[in-house]
Amino acid sequence: MIFGMWDGVLFHLGPIPVDHLIVTEWVVIAFIGLIAMSATKNMQIVPRGLQNGFEAMILWTYDFFTQLMDEEHVAKKWAPILTSFFLFILISNYSGLIPGAAHIQGFQPPTSNWNVTMTLALITFFSIHVAGFSEHGGHYLHHFVSPSWAMLPLNLVEEVAHPLSLTVRLFGNIFGEETVVAYLLFMAPFLVPSAMMGLGLLLGAIQAIVFTILSASYIAAAAGAGH
Amino acid sequence: MRRNKKFCLSVLLCTLVMVLGFAAVALASGGAAVPIEAPAGKTPAFGNLYVIGWTAVNFFVLLALVYKFGYGPINAMLEQRTNTIEGSLKHAEEVKVEVEQMRKETAANLAESRKEAQEIVGRATKAAEEAKNELLAKAKEESTAMRNKANAEIQAATAQAKVELRDTAVTLAIMAAEKVLSRAINEADQKNMVKQFVAEAGDLLC
Repeated sequence: MIFGMWDGVLFHLGPIPVDHLIVTEWVVIAFIGLIAMSATKNMQIVPRGLQNGFEAMILWTYDFFTQLMDEEHVAKKWAPILTSFFLFILISNYSGLIPGAAHIQGFQPPTSNWNVTMTLALITFFSIHVAGFSEHGGHYLHHFVSPSWAMLPLNLVEEVAHPLSLTVRLFGNIFGEETVVAYLLFMAPFLVPSAMMGLGLLLGAIQAIVFTILSASYIAAAAGAGH
Repeated sequence: MRRNKKFCLSVLLCTLVMVLGFAAVALASGGAAVPIEAPAGKTPAFGNLYVIGWTAVNFFVLLALVYKFGYGPINAMLEQRTNTIEGSLKHAEEVKVEVEQMRKETAANLAESRKEAQEIVGRATKAAEEAKNELLAKAKEESTAMRNKANAEIQAATAQAKVELRDTAVTLAIMAAEKVLSRAINEADQKNMVKQFVAEAGDLLC
């Protein structure tokens, strides 16, 4: 079984078909959930060990979004969803580096499938407009015809371009990286793919950060004072 | 040395990853021998509604987990930590004020104690001086009295000695006269008598 071959149903959950990568998504979510549960099970005033690391990560993302979004109440409202984006994409990307990824049934990096990246991008798309309406109410619609009605088509294209670019960027990078590793594994199985996998570590983190930053900036722009 | 160790560990890790990868591929292909077949490289189909639906559900489950086990407890802990720190700072401020007040009180008490001690020392010095003077005066008085008494006693003793001496002399004279008058004496007896008198008088005088 080679990469890209398992774009199909692994089993059915009642009448609902479950694809291979959905199983990996469950494992990714369970992993994040377990880490979060373990880290926050017995929280102490002075953090230690896993609590310290998890708190640092959550606070780092929160501070990062606060600085990026300017307005703290917006950052506070949207930080959980952005952190979830970051963690989900990061762990999904790194799941492709585990031996057996895309070779064992049910184990396929979710972000190498553009249905998954599109879903994430659509969630961002809706979050943008929810943030815009919640901050500005009906006045938010004015930005579609800003600075004049003539700009409406371009503004609409821009709104569509946001999720499209998020989808294609994440999918393209991860799919490309996975494909290259698979080819290298075929051509020179030992050591050679390691370099690409090392780059994959960097790429996985960068793509998670880029997706999250862009989502945060889109939400901040919609919720900001400019509208 | 440390860099070499890291390099060796990295190579070992990469090799392990590769070997595990091959083992996984071999398992996945039902035990078929490596080498594996060439990658197909085809992109997955777009618009799989089941994947989109599942992913959306999964993401919101993750969001709920992150909120329930991440942001919720951490926000609560941050709030608790903030309250603790604020409480500690407030308590520290109160303690600081209290310590400052105690320091002032202690300084005042110390000054008062010092003043009292000086007064006590002054009083004691004065009392000691008075006692000394009194004792000296008393001692002087006593010594004068003793000296006067001694002088009086000496004078009395002297007078009595004189009286006794006179009485003795009279007695001796009477005794000598008795001796002379009691018998006729020759020169030899006279000499003997005088010698005897002198011997007896010597015993009496000494």
